[in-house]
Amino acid sequence: MNAQLSGYAYWLASRFTTRGLLTLLIVSLAAIPLFFVIHSSLQLSVERWFSLWTSRLPGLIWNTLTLAVLVAVGAFVLGVSSAWLIVRREFAGRRLAIWLLVLPLTIPTYVFAHIYTILLEPTGWLGRLWIALFGEAGLPDLYNVFGVGFVLSLAGFSYVFLLVRDALSRTHQNLEDAARIQGASPTRVFWRINLPMLRPAIAAGLALVVLHVLSDFGAVSMLRYQTFTLSIYLQMNGRFDYQAAAGLSLILVSLSMTFLVVERFFRKRQRYYSSAQSRKVEPRPAGFTEQMLIWAWLGLITLFAFVLPLAWMLVWSWQAWIKDMIDIAFWGYVGNSLLISFMAASLAMLAGLPVALYHARRRDFLSNACIQFSSIGFVLPGPVIALGILAFVLAAVPNIYGGMLVLVLAMVIRFLPLAVQSLESTVQQLTPSVEQAGRSLGAGPLQNLWRVMLPMMRGGLISAWVLVFIDTLKELPATLLLRPTGFDTLPVRIWIEASEEMLELAAPAALMLVMGTLPVLWFLMRPGSEHSS
Amino acid sequence: MRFLISFLMVVLLPVMQVQAADELLVYSGRSDKFVKPVMDAFSRATGIKVVLHAGSSTALLNKLQLEGKRSQADIYISNDAGNLQKGADLKLFRAIPKNIARNVPSNYRSKQNDWLGLSARARVLVVNSHDPVVKGVNSVFDLAKPALKGKIALTHSGNESYIAGVSVYMQLKDKKFVSQWLNGMKQNLDDGVFNKHSKIVKAVASGKKAVGLVNHYYIYRHLEKHPDAPIRILLPDQAKGGIGVAWNVAGAAITRYSKKPAVAEKLMAFMVSKEGQKLFASVNREYPTRPGISAAREVPAVGSFKVADIPMASLGHLRNDTLDLIEAVGMP
Repeated sequence: MNAQLSGYAYWLASRFTTRGLLTLLIVSLAAIPLFFVIHSSLQLSVERWFSLWTSRLPGLIWNTLTLAVLVAVGAFVLGVSSAWLIVRREFAGRRLAIWLLVLPLTIPTYVFAHIYTILLEPTGWLGRLWIALFGEAGLPDLYNVFGVGFVLSLAGFSYVFLLVRDALSRTHQNLEDAARIQGASPTRVFWRINLPMLRPAIAAGLALVVLHVLSDFGAVSMLRYQTFTLSIYLQMNGRFDYQAAAGLSLILVSLSMTFLVVERFFRKRQRYYSSAQSRKVEPRPAGFTEQMLIWAWLGLITLFAFVLPLAWMLVWSWQAWIKDMIDIAFWGYVGNSLLISFMAASLAMLAGLPVALYHARRRDFLSNACIQFSSIGFVLPGPVIALGILAFVLAAVPNIYGGMLVLVLAMVIRFLPLAVQSLESTVQQLTPSVEQAGRSLGAGPLQNLWRVMLPMMRGGLISAWVLVFIDTLKELPATLLLRPTGFDTLPVRIWIEASEEMLELAAPAALMLVMGTLPVLWFLMRPGSEHSS
Repeated sequence: MRFLISFLMVVLLPVMQVQAADELLVYSGRSDKFVKPVMDAFSRATGIKVVLHAGSSTALLNKLQLEGKRSQADIYISNDAGNLQKGADLKLFRAIPKNIARNVPSNYRSKQNDWLGLSARARVLVVNSHDPVVKGVNSVFDLAKPALKGKIALTHSGNESYIAGVSVYMQLKDKKFVSQWLNGMKQNLDDGVFNKHSKIVKAVASGKKAVGLVNHYYIYRHLEKHPDAPIRILLPDQAKGGIGVAWNVAGAAITRYSKKPAVAEKLMAFMVSKEGQKLFASVNREYPTRPGISAAREVPAVGSFKVADIPMASLGHLRNDTLDLIEAVGMP
């Protein structure tokens, strides 16, 4: 009896460490929007559920899933192929290529959608090219699943690229050498050694991409493709029907959570720790023909994912500049955007740390649940998150309403999963013995964290910060609802101007989003950073 | 550790900023471009500062409702009478004194004067002058004729002006008729759905489409940039017994929980004053609601055509029925 009790106490104590408690606190904050959704959908009567179920759901589920699959395939092909070429081959302009492959992250999906609908008009650049080549007939338009899939793949593949590249550059030559010595062909090595080793990175990258698809609001609303998110938004906004919106959100959350659990299940079965002595892979110099082929492929990707949109932004920004439309207020929007992104990125990085550490070292029901709940921000549509936080703040802490803190809180909740994901992937590669060694040499938990763990996690910390920064910079739906009055950010301005067809005003704001991200991206990608961890 | 604390402080410091309180806060569902000139003129005349908080009309109304007593907004501006009446039904506004309200004719404001229409837009047809197919067209209901297959251009059915237009037709014709009309247009659409009114006008100007259903000012906005575009305005349903042009107003209301109602009334009075109305008319070529102020010279003069006789407040009451109908037909 006594032994059983002390066993129970031990169980409790081992779970409620500082790490565990902090994690619980952060996770319960992150779950606020979910509670809101559950609370509101409980008020939905049985008949309404039934009518939702029969009238809307089949179409919505089909639309959303086909889009998710399409984008996952697109992002996989673009992301993995480009990451492989970048890490394994040495060719002229390699650093430039890396930049060009990451920069699409700086362009919001609604800007992508906006630009490509304009370029594909009969009078647009691509429209004219198409007509010159193939004639008037069959000019593709984007108002279908392939159009939306195209836009979202371009906007999202860089996540896969970044994570796979990071994992690839940290793989070691030994395993591949061993396989080759045993007589495996290079293709076989790729399928049997590299791909399985890359699986966590690919899975994490694709998970990010798919979650972005599920919660995307900008592109689907601009291209009128009815996914869950758009339908929820219309239900909420057009009809003031929060309960039906909450009901739909609840179904969306269950779908996304299932997806996440499956993804984690596949990832969980594999954990790789690298030993310190092994040799890193050196990129192989590419011959001339190979270089041409590499650039043909990477050039095609970057042309559509970045160069064309950038050219469009530059042309229209120039128009705005010569018409003197860029005034002092514009620089105010730039400042607001940078400020909010800086705060959200820093806080999300800090908040993600205990969650990632807790989960990386302890795999049980509680820690898994914590990880799932920390992802709420990604599985719920932005407008719903905003609504949930608004309701919570007004009910619980009305004094902070209308201030920046509410907006920052919303951003942290929305993008916490980004921070957790990137921190976790570095924590997973930290051998537990390193942490144990620090402790056994007499470092306290904080000192150990500060002197041993954090320096080794620097790569993950930086990418967590940068990814949250970039996404906050682009965030639209929650900012629209929660920003302090008169506090306009660049996305808000783009949205306002684009809805009135004021291209000259939307373009400079989009351009500033790209420019604002450059310094933080440089931080992430500066020479040597890929070897630092 | 000390680094961590100072880092947190740097991050959180800007949060502590306090908002300056001595100004009017306007939730504006209209583009800044059309509202700001009026607000600037008001500030110049009175010295009262106005902060514009822009968004979509419906989203801002949602915000207003959710905020309840906590709302800091003093004035709500919408580009659609449907939203204004919806807000009035949700009791989000307060009554505007009669001496201000009476500047606006009674069918352009709510019964209790809790909102006023400021400027009106007409639902008209834009036609390509060269396309022979438009010869027989003189009513919006002609858009459902099989002869126009592949020739018509509409906005998607989430558009507030589009919804309001259908609400008007629903009151003057019966539901079944409107449902058949929508079905007929659906057959005719092909790839004729656009996400912006301006794109409809563009498509008609390029000859890709023959006729489009738009708010009148989009036509003139296009003509300003391309004076030689082969398009013209067609005022629909003018024949004897025709229902007339569907009309919608953009308007404003004073919020129920405004802490400065007296100041808000000043702004309201300015917006319906001669000066304010002239400004509204000139920035977007809309029709001022105050009688005696003329619209821009290029648009058809008010009174020269027949307007569907519908109190604007009904657009809010019929909103959900209209949405149901549009969805039942499955308009894209």
